[in-house]
Amino acid sequence: MKKILMTAGVSALLATSAMADTIGVSVARFDDNGLTIMRNGMTDYAAANDGVELQVEDAQDDVARQLDQINNFIASGVDAIIVNAVDTNATEAMSNAASAAGVPLVYVNRQPVNMATLPEGQAFVASNEVESGTLAAFHMCQELRAAGKSGGAKAYMLMGQLSNQAAVQRSKDFHDVIGMDMCNFIELIDEQTAEWSRDKAQDLMTNWISSGEPFDAVFGNNDEMAIGAIQAMKAAGISMDDVVVGGVDATPDALVSMQAGEMDVTVFQDLAGQGAGSIVTAMKLAAGEDVDKTVFIPFKLVTPENVADFLN
Amino acid sequence: MSDTSHGTGGLKFDAKKRAWPNELNIFFALILIVVIFEILGQTLPYMNDQSFLFDTRDRFDSIFNEARLRIIILQVSIIGIIALGVTQVIISGGIDLSSGPLVGATAMIVMSFAQTELVNGNPNPKAVFGDWAFDLPVLLPIIVGLAFGAFIGGINGALIAFTRIPPFIATLGMFLICRGIAQAWTRGKPVSFPTESYAALGKGMMPVFWFLLLAVVCHVVLKYTLYGKHTYAIGSNEDAARMSGINVKRHKIRVYMIASMLAAFAAIILSSKNLTAQSGMGIFYELYAIAMAVIGGVSLTGGRGSIIGTVLGAMVFGVIQSGFTYIKLDAFYQLMAMGAIIIAAVVLDKVRQDRGSSRS
Repeated sequence: MKKILMTAGVSALLATSAMADTIGVSVARFDDNGLTIMRNGMTDYAAANDGVELQVEDAQDDVARQLDQINNFIASGVDAIIVNAVDTNATEAMSNAASAAGVPLVYVNRQPVNMATLPEGQAFVASNEVESGTLAAFHMCQELRAAGKSGGAKAYMLMGQLSNQAAVQRSKDFHDVIGMDMCNFIELIDEQTAEWSRDKAQDLMTNWISSGEPFDAVFGNNDEMAIGAIQAMKAAGISMDDVVVGGVDATPDALVSMQAGEMDVTVFQDLAGQGAGSIVTAMKLAAGEDVDKTVFIPFKLVTPENVADFLN
Repeated sequence: MSDTSHGTGGLKFDAKKRAWPNELNIFFALILIVVIFEILGQTLPYMNDQSFLFDTRDRFDSIFNEARLRIIILQVSIIGIIALGVTQVIISGGIDLSSGPLVGATAMIVMSFAQTELVNGNPNPKAVFGDWAFDLPVLLPIIVGLAFGAFIGGINGALIAFTRIPPFIATLGMFLICRGIAQAWTRGKPVSFPTESYAALGKGMMPVFWFLLLAVVCHVVLKYTLYGKHTYAIGSNEDAARMSGINVKRHKIRVYMIASMLAAFAAIILSSKNLTAQSGMGIFYELYAIAMAVIGGVSLTGGRGSIIGTVLGAMVFGVIQSGFTYIKLDAFYQLMAMGAIIIAAVVLDKVRQDRGSSRS
């Protein structure tokens, strides 16, 4: 009986996968908030469209495991592969493996290092990372000016994992913005990593506050850290009207915080859109259509004025 | 060779040496580290008039920088609660690697029972269950969390006691299982917006209150109850303990259950403090908890150590973390420095012990 059921189950699986495009997806981490939104964007899109079947794997932040997953996808004959790279420096081998097997490959969210030399049948779907930190930092600069602090303002920056490209880029964006003539009144007191984590950011911010140095702005490489900083400042009795706090991601928690008048600016990276976009691109490549090497999904600035549009 | 060794082979009871508790050494090490940061702060050119521990800007009534004192202990309180349990496990001759992921899993589960229905007048955007799970009395998530901790700890203990697989392997397996539970619970999505009463559990200095309260309880239990005596006995010599009539299997299960319940409680306080639960919470907590215990003089071979030592070990961590931020040490070097300090602390302890045992 058991055996019959199992055979029936297996043949049912085979039957469905034979009809639709099968796409293998390797995501860097399943327990990352942002990547989860992206992953759900993929699965939601696949659930709504009959023409595609997804096989989603967790690379657990392990470069070697990710490459194994890709080779396994190739071995099991998928129609296309989507990779959210663990380490953007390790994409060359992935591109080579897929291209040798003639399987289309789409990188999503994280830009591969071999972008300039991507083989035929491969593409990159993401938002332009330079936009995010710059949008947030520049808006913070404008807010500080509007608050009459253009004579001099002090800021702290909470950085993500130092090995992460987005953390490096967003930190650089912030430095670039405060290096502009219009914003060079902002002085960075200190920058430290809180590893994308709300808890670590809370402790780090409390440490900064304990030094007693006055400050006017806090920029978090992501919203979680900005929220952690806000919680620490509230605990220390600092009025959130006096400090400009910026983050990136526009997570639901951040939007609620903004609604409560705490967070001042964040940037919406359409992660679900990236996920869905990667599938659309992969299906096009599998069908042999021409696709741009880079497919950009734009960032959007979120402030108290338009926060309602993002809360739904 | 000298006169004193005559007839006793050099063995001599020295009351003074015996009365010198290991905890005092850790305490002095703690003070030494504070002094080092204070000196660094005074000598580094970019620090202007700041002091690590003292109030140089007249912000507080006392001479101390109270905000600094608070964060030093606040930032280690939650891992400290885990370390209280880990201490007992290590004293009993075991090890528990599952506590970090258990924090992640427990936080996710508990927070699902602690959500509030309305956030700023809008429906909760992170609801896990249906309407019935909103605004439940705060006791319910606490009970769910502790029960889950007891369940996981019970499995850990039973595996170790009955199948006799090494604790390292049993709890390593549980490490992966718990991280899996944490991720599977909501498929990786964070759970946020708890009720006010739940948020009050870890608000402000509450984590410190819980840490110190539980430390006192654990200290008394380990030092003055039969449970504590059996824990030390099993860790020192399991066979001797068994032969003297201690039910070693049952006792081990108890120790692991208590440790996991403490980790689960830490998860409750952590999620309350942060007003959110995320499957990635508690990463490396098991290692930091073990490191706190070890710096505090808890011997990985079992049978030796104390809660006071672990609390001091946690304080060493707190001081170092706060000190790194204070001297604005480049973020790229902090991990290296932290690792070096952990190794140095344990090496010093080892040297001191070897010298102590060869003399006494």
